[in-house]
Amino acid sequence: MDAQTLLWVVARATGLASYAAICISILSGLALRTSVLDFLAKNRAMRSLHDFTAWIWIPLGASHVAALVLDTTARIAPQDLIVPFRTDYGQLAIGIGTLSLDLFAIVIVSSWLRRRLNDDLWRALHRASYLAFALLFLHAFLSGTDFDSPVISSISWAAAAGLGILAVSRVLSGRLPD
Amino acid sequence: MSSWMLKLGSVFTTLLVLAGSFGYTTSHLKNARAPLQPPLADKAVAVAPSASPVAPTATLPPLVPLRGRTRPPSAPGTPIPSLQPNVRSADLPPITFTHVS
Repeated sequence: MDAQTLLWVVARATGLASYAAICISILSGLALRTSVLDFLAKNRAMRSLHDFTAWIWIPLGASHVAALVLDTTARIAPQDLIVPFRTDYGQLAIGIGTLSLDLFAIVIVSSWLRRRLNDDLWRALHRASYLAFALLFLHAFLSGTDFDSPVISSISWAAAAGLGILAVSRVLSGRLPD
Repeated sequence: MSSWMLKLGSVFTTLLVLAGSFGYTTSHLKNARAPLQPPLADKAVAVAPSASPVAPTATLPPLVPLRGRTRPPSAPGTPIPSLQPNVRSADLPPITFTHVS
């Protein structure tokens, strides 16, 4: 396997793995405000997991974009990681991924600066992670090379649907009943 | 369940997905049905000059005037048959002496 092929494999594999890690992160975040995972652990442990998962999906997401920038076939420039809809092909699919990346970066940085922000601002910025995840799923659906695999597609759809149902329930009903 | 078990479970799950993804992608390197197909880089194809030079063919005017008729189309590059004598002069010195008995 030559270097370019290896980069292509790394980009695809880390993209899927970071998607899984982000699902766990959002699920643990939702569990803090709902009772869906109360049977598994208390809120303190769940909060610890939620904080920890950032250290799983950030390196995986960074590897995904770094491999795509280094892959000469993908033709992703470093500016494309910040400015959406600049690529000369797949503008919508890749641009949505860029928007998702930007939003996740805002969520992470605002979380690190939480003590310097007021609660309302931090909460508003943190809730952007729902939008970022929706964009991430759309990016995977529109551009994912492996999304036509039944196994990968069914797991991804199931994870997204489960999180979507939980998020909508959280928004509409507040803390879900036991 | 304690927090470290949750963390261990999340790491294990992610690594499982990563390993499975690596296995899948290495066995499916190219997907012809992938939604994004980046255009290949333009590669200049170097064409080697032909080793056998083609003898130049003279283009003759039509022997019969084409009165109101158009010339039949010919494929580009198709050699046109020539009726001229195909004799070429050699680079040898001319013969200036002949033996007379």
